[in-house]
Amino acid sequence: MKKAYLGIDIGSISTKGVVLDDDSNILAKEYLWTEGNPMGAVKKLLAELEKQFDKDEYEIVSTGTTGSARKLIGVMVGATIVKNEITAHAVGTLNFYPDVRTILEIGGQDSKIILVDNGVVVDYAMNTLCAAGTGAFLSSQAKRLGVEVEEFGKIALQSKSPTQLAARCTVFAESDLVHKIQMGHTRQDIIAGLCRAVVNNYLNNVGKGKKIVSPVVFQGGVSRNEGVVHFFEQQLGTKVIVDENGPLMGAIGIAILGRRARARKKFDFAVEDMEFRTREVSCGRCPNNCEIICVYRDDVLIDSWGNRCDKGALRAGTRGESVK
Amino acid sequence: MDAGKRNIAFPIIANYNCIVKFFIEKGMDLNYIEQPKMTRRTLDVGTKYSPDYVCAPFKSTLGSMIDALEAGADTLIMTMGLCRLGYYGELQEQILRDLGYEFEMINLASYTTGNVKDYYKAIRRLNPKISLSRFTKAALIGLKMLEYIDEIEALYYRNCGFEVNKGEYRKAYEDFLMAMDMVNGRKDIERQYRKTRNAFREIRLDKPDHPIRVGVIGEYFTVMDDFSNLGLEQMLADMGVEVHRWMNPTNRNLHYKGQKNLGVQISEYSRFEMGPTSTANIWCAKNYAENGFDGLIHVKSAGCTPEIDIMPVLENISRDYKIPILYLTYDSQTSDTGLQTRVEAFNDMLRMRRAAI
Repeated sequence: MKKAYLGIDIGSISTKGVVLDDDSNILAKEYLWTEGNPMGAVKKLLAELEKQFDKDEYEIVSTGTTGSARKLIGVMVGATIVKNEITAHAVGTLNFYPDVRTILEIGGQDSKIILVDNGVVVDYAMNTLCAAGTGAFLSSQAKRLGVEVEEFGKIALQSKSPTQLAARCTVFAESDLVHKIQMGHTRQDIIAGLCRAVVNNYLNNVGKGKKIVSPVVFQGGVSRNEGVVHFFEQQLGTKVIVDENGPLMGAIGIAILGRRARARKKFDFAVEDMEFRTREVSCGRCPNNCEIICVYRDDVLIDSWGNRCDKGALRAGTRGESVK
Repeated sequence: MDAGKRNIAFPIIANYNCIVKFFIEKGMDLNYIEQPKMTRRTLDVGTKYSPDYVCAPFKSTLGSMIDALEAGADTLIMTMGLCRLGYYGELQEQILRDLGYEFEMINLASYTTGNVKDYYKAIRRLNPKISLSRFTKAALIGLKMLEYIDEIEALYYRNCGFEVNKGEYRKAYEDFLMAMDMVNGRKDIERQYRKTRNAFREIRLDKPDHPIRVGVIGEYFTVMDDFSNLGLEQMLADMGVEVHRWMNPTNRNLHYKGQKNLGVQISEYSRFEMGPTSTANIWCAKNYAENGFDGLIHVKSAGCTPEIDIMPVLENISRDYKIPILYLTYDSQTSDTGLQTRVEAFNDMLRMRRAAI
């Protein structure tokens, strides 16, 4: 039986999964919306992945999770490796583009830049306090304009003179946008302006002070937006590569990291049928009131976290209702 | 606690309240009120009554003052400062009075005139019958305590990530801090210090010859106070990193070489003092870079102008020495998930770089 490696990337907006073989060929891949329910999304994801590859020929020996819900899902699927999305993205991209120098990434809630030299990550930056210019901003503006966010790119490219929008801050951009709509700017100009604002915002915040050298790879959900890609190319004066598997890069990266690591554990698709439940418990043993997240599988506590000290430590294996 | 004496409190700042306590109790013969350690409640209360755009140290010290008043303090001391911090005592006093608290405020900023003798006025105000010799003696012992605390803390973060049996370092370190909270005099302090040094020496380490070394620099309060920076140094140490931090009162205040001496060493990067810790931080970053550190982490609270000002300079250092810098901005958030992601990725990156060389 041949070996296969599962990687799952659970972001704020979308959930991605891949199954790789020993040569990093994709045996199965899936991309779907998280819809505020990471556990449910992963169950759906696993059901789709299961159908796509030959279970008699391959056996999944390592499982990796990344993305903002990596810890929760890591517990749920019994991951052998749980890693942050920055490392996962870098590893995934380097696998397909070994000579890449700059990786731009704009996701649902965060954006990052990764600088690579000779196949080694040498610097990275991630947006800190502000979510300006991320996918979430684009989709909320799409709603305002009554356009599907998937259509944004095509509409933006039709514009000849994109509207100038204040790009520094989401709040300013939004009020500026409302103003420009009322002034009578056309929809395509505004949408093109929005795409350009995202690019400017990214370069001014995350990319500030970083030397962007080509080849440049652009990833994350927003990379599917042709308008943003167009303005990146315009601003950087270089070609921006968008891989068709771009959104899957985090999942691919974590699958590769799982393959490289030593830990091995056979993955069982039975997880799909198990009942998972989380509960937030306020510790209450000191005024800090740590929010402890408890994860239950079929009513048995399998893990908990969030406590800052030993007072709040809960023992795994206890029955659900016996825990305060 | 003696009745009839003033009950003095000071907002919690990293591990240094035991020194203030020693000073107040032994040197000034007054009562010291110890508020509980900072918790999320402290920060919530502080944030609630603070202007939104003020930096996070204002919020946590205000919360800590309220904790102290609720614990029975009748006199609050607030430090002076070289940035906006210099105005904080006055504003905090006003906020607390508006909330209806009754207390006396000794705001050291109003005694900071350039003439050291004026601080004596503040001391006389706290206790008019103070004995100068007793006070001086306690002050000197307090400074020794400060040096020891900083030294032990530095040793702790450099080594605790490499211990063979997890938790041994933590225990020795916590024992030390607790002992410092209870010391009576010079002999006590010396004994506890030596005891902790010995305890540290006994702990078995599994440390490589060239461990990953990270220098932590940044804004005075947030970089030192592990509650405010969400345990950044511990997080790094737990990833097997040797953590260095120059910024502490011993280095920045007690043995500070001064703008003239440090400024000349960084003249290619900056010619002027930009704030209370900017010269020190630029010098420190350059020094770490020259000494072959793997990476730097710059810590600041949101809206800290002096630290924002030095970021372009740090970028130049990063480029010249090819040393990556992670910039972290803290506000009154209490979730460390985002921090964990960034620090973990930073650590991964340093290790990948190391493996490539």
